Amino acid sequence: MSPVSTLRPASGAPRPYHFPAFSRHRLSNGLTVWLVPLPGRELVNVHLLFDAGAAAEEEARAGVASLTARLLVTGTRSLDAAAFAEATERLGIEVSSESSWDSARAAFQALPAYLGEGLALLAEMVREPRLDPGEFERLKAERLGDIMQARSEPGRLADEMFLDSLYVPETPYHRLGGGTPETVAALTLDDVRAHHAAHYLPGRAHLIVAGNLDPDAVIGEVEAGLGGWTGAGPGHREISPLAVGGRRIVLVDRPDSVQSELRVGLPGITRFDPRYFSATVMAATLGGVFRSYLNLRLREELGYTYGAHAGLDLRRAAGPMSARSAVQTEVTAPALTELVGQLDLIRSSDPAEEMLREVKDFLIGVFPLRFETTGGVAGAIEPLAIYGLPDDYWQTYRANLEAVTAAEVRQAAEEIIDPAELLCLVVGDAAKIRAELEATGIGPLEVRSAE
Amino acid sequence: MPSVPIERHQLDNGLRVILSRDDRAPVVAVNLWYDVGSKHEQPGKTGFAHLFEHLMFQGSEHVGKTEHFAYVQGVGGTLNGTTWLDRTNYFETLPSHELELALWLEADRMASLLPAMSQEKLDNQRDVVKNERRFSVDNQPYGTWDERIQELLFPEWHPYHHPAIGSMEDLSAASLDDVKDFFDTFYRPNNAVLSIVGDFETDAALAMVRRHFGDIPANPKLPPPPQVVLDPFILGGEKRLVVPDQVPLPRVYLAYRIPVFGTPEHDACEVSADLLGAGRASRLYANLVRDKQLAQDVAVFVFPVVGGAAILTAWATARPGIGHESLEAALLEEIERLAAEGPGAAELERVRNLHHAGSAAALERIAERADRLSMYTCLFDEPERINREITDYTSVDDERVRDAVTRYLAADNRLVLTYVPAEAADGAEPGPDERELSA
Repeated sequence: MSPVSTLRPASGAPRPYHFPAFSRHRLSNGLTVWLVPLPGRELVNVHLLFDAGAAAEEEARAGVASLTARLLVTGTRSLDAAAFAEATERLGIEVSSESSWDSARAAFQALPAYLGEGLALLAEMVREPRLDPGEFERLKAERLGDIMQARSEPGRLADEMFLDSLYVPETPYHRLGGGTPETVAALTLDDVRAHHAAHYLPGRAHLIVAGNLDPDAVIGEVEAGLGGWTGAGPGHREISPLAVGGRRIVLVDRPDSVQSELRVGLPGITRFDPRYFSATVMAATLGGVFRSYLNLRLREELGYTYGAHAGLDLRRAAGPMSARSAVQTEVTAPALTELVGQLDLIRSSDPAEEMLREVKDFLIGVFPLRFETTGGVAGAIEPLAIYGLPDDYWQTYRANLEAVTAAEVRQAAEEIIDPAELLCLVVGDAAKIRAELEATGIGPLEVRSAE
Repeated sequence: MPSVPIERHQLDNGLRVILSRDDRAPVVAVNLWYDVGSKHEQPGKTGFAHLFEHLMFQGSEHVGKTEHFAYVQGVGGTLNGTTWLDRTNYFETLPSHELELALWLEADRMASLLPAMSQEKLDNQRDVVKNERRFSVDNQPYGTWDERIQELLFPEWHPYHHPAIGSMEDLSAASLDDVKDFFDTFYRPNNAVLSIVGDFETDAALAMVRRHFGDIPANPKLPPPPQVVLDPFILGGEKRLVVPDQVPLPRVYLAYRIPVFGTPEHDACEVSADLLGAGRASRLYANLVRDKQLAQDVAVFVFPVVGGAAILTAWATARPGIGHESLEAALLEEIERLAAEGPGAAELERVRNLHHAGSAAALERIAERADRLSMYTCLFDEPERINREITDYTSVDDERVRDAVTRYLAADNRLVLTYVPAEAADGAEPGPDERELSA
């Protein structure tokens, strides 16, 4: 007999939790400042966002947004790369600067005592970056090396080849946000200077400060560092996320691979889609929790993989929705069939009530944990700033999830996952898996080179 | 930094219980360290501790297969388990009103994993673990680096000679009898530490712990710890290995035996690692990446383990067009320069402040606090060490850095492991037969 009680213990009384209160201030130059005081915390996080991501660059200069962001941390007019690194790191601050499709972000985390000095250095960095020719050439070469390295990793190669096969070449989304070797190689320092001059301006920018802070003091420091700055950039361009279309298999040969990387999907939805909540529950049911359709079947029942997942890449225009897994080479074809089968299942039947409950309870219950760190809180403000989501977004978030019904989950899947448009991208040892993949009958198979 | 409150208890069956309250958010973290890791594995059974960890998620007497994950995720919790050289840990973070659920789940599998075990579950998770190995080691460029470092830094008899993930051959050989023996030997309350951090009432939490864990029997005959003492401690010469692999750029790894985690000498090695590799003002980044432009990236870190010796590893990936020979020479030059010059005051201030901020960031998460409390209790029987981390690090001065680098990051204690693109390796095939071993 087990000494342990046989039944799941009863739950205690839940304690309410609310997303932290924040305030929003607009400086006269247009900069929006979001303050989230979190008394008692050991840290403060600063995120400065510009509409200067890949969607804001010209397609002929693909990768300039990423390179510009990376170059910012290599010094200011008064501090060279070494001096800037020393000035920030002596405060315990590591400044990051990176870009995504829909924004560029310069950020740091600090003990509260160093917030003022950190803000001053951040302001100097975005307003008067050094943009040094030697550092530009170095980071460009490093970026080209990164791309080469990424292509040697099967998972990252699959991610890149999936986008490249999914979208038409005229659509920026067919490539990684950081550009291709060809476009990066062609970039000049003048391109970076032009991107910085056009897009790193206060008019559309957002500054988020979360943590142990004194709101009046922060506003004063922000005014001192960024207040005298003026101008507004043109913002991002419109992107039409056109897919190549058709149900098909694209096989990228990687000889001697002991696993095959699978990506199955198609363009999904935008961040503004009214089906956001039902699509979120749908993606989690398919591949976002341990007992998701994909993980339960491919891992826990069949042992084909260490894990299988699904997700939506949400952007201003429709980024990809994909299901993904890495499976041992010998089972590549049956695993792909199973994966496609689970996509069929979620679009053809309502999820079981118990499953829906489990997924919604996870997404709702995990809410306080997502905001456990000051960085998590600052990050949660970002979609409000970038996409203009309403101020009560997080207040109503859990109720919106709770309202999702089984029929809405199936409907979201039915509308988003068109089986006639599924791209199945496989990176693996073609000599071993090609014939079996063709025999699955999923669709025509094309072999592509990794280069 | 405010100190982490610590309350310590022990049940009659030997289970050590560490409580730390923090009611800022309605969440609670539960963390269990079992004092068993890959170093406890017997020859021919490598990878078993980790495979066993997977089986702990396959259900127990009152919990069905996959239900452990479902119960926790179904209330909005997160969970996992990990296995490493010294230990295996299991953890859940969940809304505080579900604390008892996590305790019940952990107790049920500690008390009654075996009645629910089956050949089918073992076979399924064996396949999953083999795919984990393929995913993280065999199909990744440079993926074998840590198992090669362990193999070359430690003699064959030493339990760190083999990796936690184990070999395919040994995984294939694992049997249900092995599962039973391992469980009965190691998965006992007197071989574990339970930490609870977050929003709870102390008396109620202790009552729950006693209710669920109190009647689980101890193992009165825990096996003695494995033999780990290295004599001599120093490697006694330089070892070198060149591995042709499917990589586009050469990468050089340097690895050294250093004093075990929890000693002042280990702290000095950790500070040295940060002086060399933490941040863009670090010596290796500033000189190899930025100034000489020999490296694409650099990293330096220690393995915080306690089995006879710990490991310090530095690596650098060559920039396109740079050979591994000049990269290695530049790495060694920086280490020699640190030994000779020592760090300046400003340099020490830099790594101390980075460490302070990094530590504050890590400890924001209650799950991390719980894990460290379990760690310090399991390894040193001293959870209070969590509140000494900053001062232990800050106390390392110029002299201790120089001493540590001179003694441990030395030529007679060094492994140089180099990955080169397979096609550039003069037709050499990747594989164990092509290893260049010396000393």
